[in-house]
Amino acid sequence: MTTYQFLTTAWRWNSTLLLFSALAFAGYFLAFRRRGRPAYFGAALVIFLFALLSPVSALANGYLFSAHMVQHILLVLIVPALLLLSLPRSFSLPRSLAALSYPFIGWIAGVGAMWLWHAPALCNAATASRAVFAIQTTSLLLMGSVFWWQVLAPRDVDRLSPAAGIVYLFTACTACSILGIILTFAPVSICPVYQQPVDRLGMLGTIRGNWGLTSDRDQQIGGLLMWVPMCLIYLTAILAQLARWHSDPTRAPGEI
Amino acid sequence: MNGTTAAAPLAMVLDPAERGHHRLAWLSTVDHKRIAILYLLAGLFFFVVGGIEALFMRLQLALPNNHFLQPDTYNQLFTMHGTTMIFLVIMPLSFGFVNYFLPLQIGARDMAFPRLNALGFWLVPFGGILLHFSVLAGGAPAVGWFSYTPLSETPYSSTLGVDYWAVAIFVLGIGSISFAINTIATVISRRAPGMTMRRLPLFTWINFVNAFIIILALPVLNAGLAMLLIDRQLEGHFFLPFHGGSAVLWQHIFWAFGHPEVYIMVLPAFGIVSEVIPVFSRKPIFGYEFVAGSTVAIAILSMSVWGHHMFTVGMGRAADSFFAITSLLIAIPTGVKVLSWTATMLGGRIRFDVPMLCCIAFLIQFLCAGITGISHAVVPLDWQTKNSYFLIAHFHFVVVGFNMTFIIQHFLGLYGMPRRVFTYPDLPHWAWMNMLSTAGAFFMAAASLILVWNLVVSFFRGKIAGDNPWNAWTLEWATTSPPPHENFDALPPIRSRRPLWDIANPDRPDPVVGKDTSEIESPDKNKVGILTFILSEAGFFAVLLLAYLFFYARPQPGPGPRELAVGRTLVFSLCLFASSFTFWRSEIAMSKRHRGSMLGWLALTIALGGVFLIGQGIEYWKLFQTGVDVSTNLFATTFFTLTGFHGLHVLLGLVALLIFLWLAWLGDFALGGESAFAAAGYYWHFVDIVWVFVLLTVYILPLLR
Repeated sequence: MTTYQFLTTAWRWNSTLLLFSALAFAGYFLAFRRRGRPAYFGAALVIFLFALLSPVSALANGYLFSAHMVQHILLVLIVPALLLLSLPRSFSLPRSLAALSYPFIGWIAGVGAMWLWHAPALCNAATASRAVFAIQTTSLLLMGSVFWWQVLAPRDVDRLSPAAGIVYLFTACTACSILGIILTFAPVSICPVYQQPVDRLGMLGTIRGNWGLTSDRDQQIGGLLMWVPMCLIYLTAILAQLARWHSDPTRAPGEI
Repeated sequence: MNGTTAAAPLAMVLDPAERGHHRLAWLSTVDHKRIAILYLLAGLFFFVVGGIEALFMRLQLALPNNHFLQPDTYNQLFTMHGTTMIFLVIMPLSFGFVNYFLPLQIGARDMAFPRLNALGFWLVPFGGILLHFSVLAGGAPAVGWFSYTPLSETPYSSTLGVDYWAVAIFVLGIGSISFAINTIATVISRRAPGMTMRRLPLFTWINFVNAFIIILALPVLNAGLAMLLIDRQLEGHFFLPFHGGSAVLWQHIFWAFGHPEVYIMVLPAFGIVSEVIPVFSRKPIFGYEFVAGSTVAIAILSMSVWGHHMFTVGMGRAADSFFAITSLLIAIPTGVKVLSWTATMLGGRIRFDVPMLCCIAFLIQFLCAGITGISHAVVPLDWQTKNSYFLIAHFHFVVVGFNMTFIIQHFLGLYGMPRRVFTYPDLPHWAWMNMLSTAGAFFMAAASLILVWNLVVSFFRGKIAGDNPWNAWTLEWATTSPPPHENFDALPPIRSRRPLWDIANPDRPDPVVGKDTSEIESPDKNKVGILTFILSEAGFFAVLLLAYLFFYARPQPGPGPRELAVGRTLVFSLCLFASSFTFWRSEIAMSKRHRGSMLGWLALTIALGGVFLIGQGIEYWKLFQTGVDVSTNLFATTFFTLTGFHGLHVLLGLVALLIFLWLAWLGDFALGGESAFAAAGYYWHFVDIVWVFVLLTVYILPLLR
């Protein structure tokens, strides 16, 4: 299969997911009506569907670790962030979920989502079994949301102070960078299923030949994706914290 | 204002009270201003040393096929020149400036830990002596300032030069880290009322951020140096390829420190420029928030760009591309700063006094150097110019910016002259370019002599400048010049970033920054200090752990993790973890003033820590019995290094706790003792948490296979 054929045909039609997304969109309007910010919610849904139905997903499904990493980053960092931004500004967590609003829990959720799912056994299982993959996707969205809650909660009182937010984001960035460094330089396969892909789409020749992606280089790119672009996402959030800190005249300026 | 009496300099050197009895006033000083001057003098001294080394090199290179210096002497000279200029000149000089001005700028009486400050300074001459002692011990190091392995390993550098180099840099690294801890604790805990973090002068803010880079980068180097010394002194195998070690690992470790180091050196200069340009343009800085925020962006990006020093190593196209992108990105926050400075000058009534002339020259030079710097982020270009005189020209341009010597070196590099060659054949153009560069170097030496002469003359016979000669508006000008022992008699109210402007212009003060309050929170300095120290230690252990994992994934013949007694270690580990609990109980007892209970729990903590160390000792003893030691294979090298350094930290923690036990035994703690005790507790818990990671990596991970 050539690259062009692949990019045009590898889109998946998944009725369950599409129906779920349509219902979610309708539900969003019913729940929040005009208080919501539907542009963010729409963007979250589009990226969510892109991560799961596009050729990226086809590649992540057993072919390329790096594609899996793109999917992973979209699901754990981008989609949850957009979801939180889409909430009405008066939204707060129900009391039953108050436990999720501790910064420590958020940090563990965000960093844990990265480390946990890259244990070789779990990473393999998520590719081999659709049920595990569904669990993985759900958990990434949830853990990502819990992580971002500390920074992007709709109400200012639910968020960390800017200085604490910077520490929170920077340490999370460091913890993920370390995993990225390990993935980049590991001489063994972290997710062995990608070493000998089952060539369901007849794409392996193109990937290994035309794209020049050997399994070693593939894992290296995956590690670098976790290390560098993810760090840039955290860095963007850190700069947003600085902007918030410097722009808010009502906040007591000497938090620390 | 204009008195020129001969007694003035002496009055500046010694307080009247000190003249009679205190002959060691400057040696024993803990005053931040005196320590700052000592830093500056030490930096100046080593600048002369490193400069003379450079002149010898330039003399050798002035003519083709020259034999003025032996090749090995030349190698020693460029190694010592690079090491001296970076660790003994630029860093002490910038630490000197920060030490002098940072406490003054935030209205503090001194740094948070004055005695730690003195220690940090005295490690500079100590490190300098260690480094230069190598000359007497068989020859200076001759492996370049980044000491690439395997060249710097025993089979290829058998004299003690590299060992002295490594120990000296290790010592200087400790000094730098202690300085950074002090800076962070000072800014967080020692600000005057009203000096909120948003009102910090930019010099202080930039150096505050810079201290975090030091805290994160220097421990990486120190971990690498420890590994290098273990290779050289204990026959370890970290960086020796023929025993399974990795020479490239050293490069990663070195540049993971080395690139942030570039910003460690340049950010203090950015801080100075950010203060000078607004004063001499008679305008507030343009875009304070952008200058402050871009510093944070630089700090974070600087940690993930080191690969651009290694494009020619063969990391693979994927890694090259990512490092190229981050390296290009870092130009953005740097550019933001340059734009802010130029925009500050725009429309200002600029006074072209000497400081401003220096800043304008810096701007132009830095822009040129920055652009050649960006060219090194472009992989194919870097492949051509790496390790040529183009690179030499680039980084000297950043830090020195002397055109006659260094502009021509760009072209020498493009003509193909490699760095670190002691002589060269008479190729077209090479001879006159080198001669021109050498002539420039001697002009530069003359300029430096004029600077030194100027300093001396100004000190003894200079016109007294007055307290605020340039109408600057930050707090360091709110006191006398030179400032008294504890800096301020009284401070003006601080409501904006230019408190002195607000006093001088009560009809049109600067807008109040943030909430109009003089209340600030000042967290306990002991806790801030120990937490930053723990941050640096975490970096150190992270490198050791990553090195362990790196070699764990490449099993070598010989002993491996299966030799370890997991069950026994788990039992001893429980003792260590329990000691965190007992320490906590001891703290509670202390807060309730139950002296006996506090002593009991503390003694139990020490006993549990001791039991853990005995457990480690048994583990080591059994391994030694079966003939396994550091030199056996890479597993042994990494295992003993990681657990050994952890054990050393437990031991240090025990010593600290024993001191507390002794103090508590003698009587109640003096005021403030509780916060010191809590700080020791933080450290003790940290040592336990490190062991959780070591236990999981070394003992539990192999069981999962």
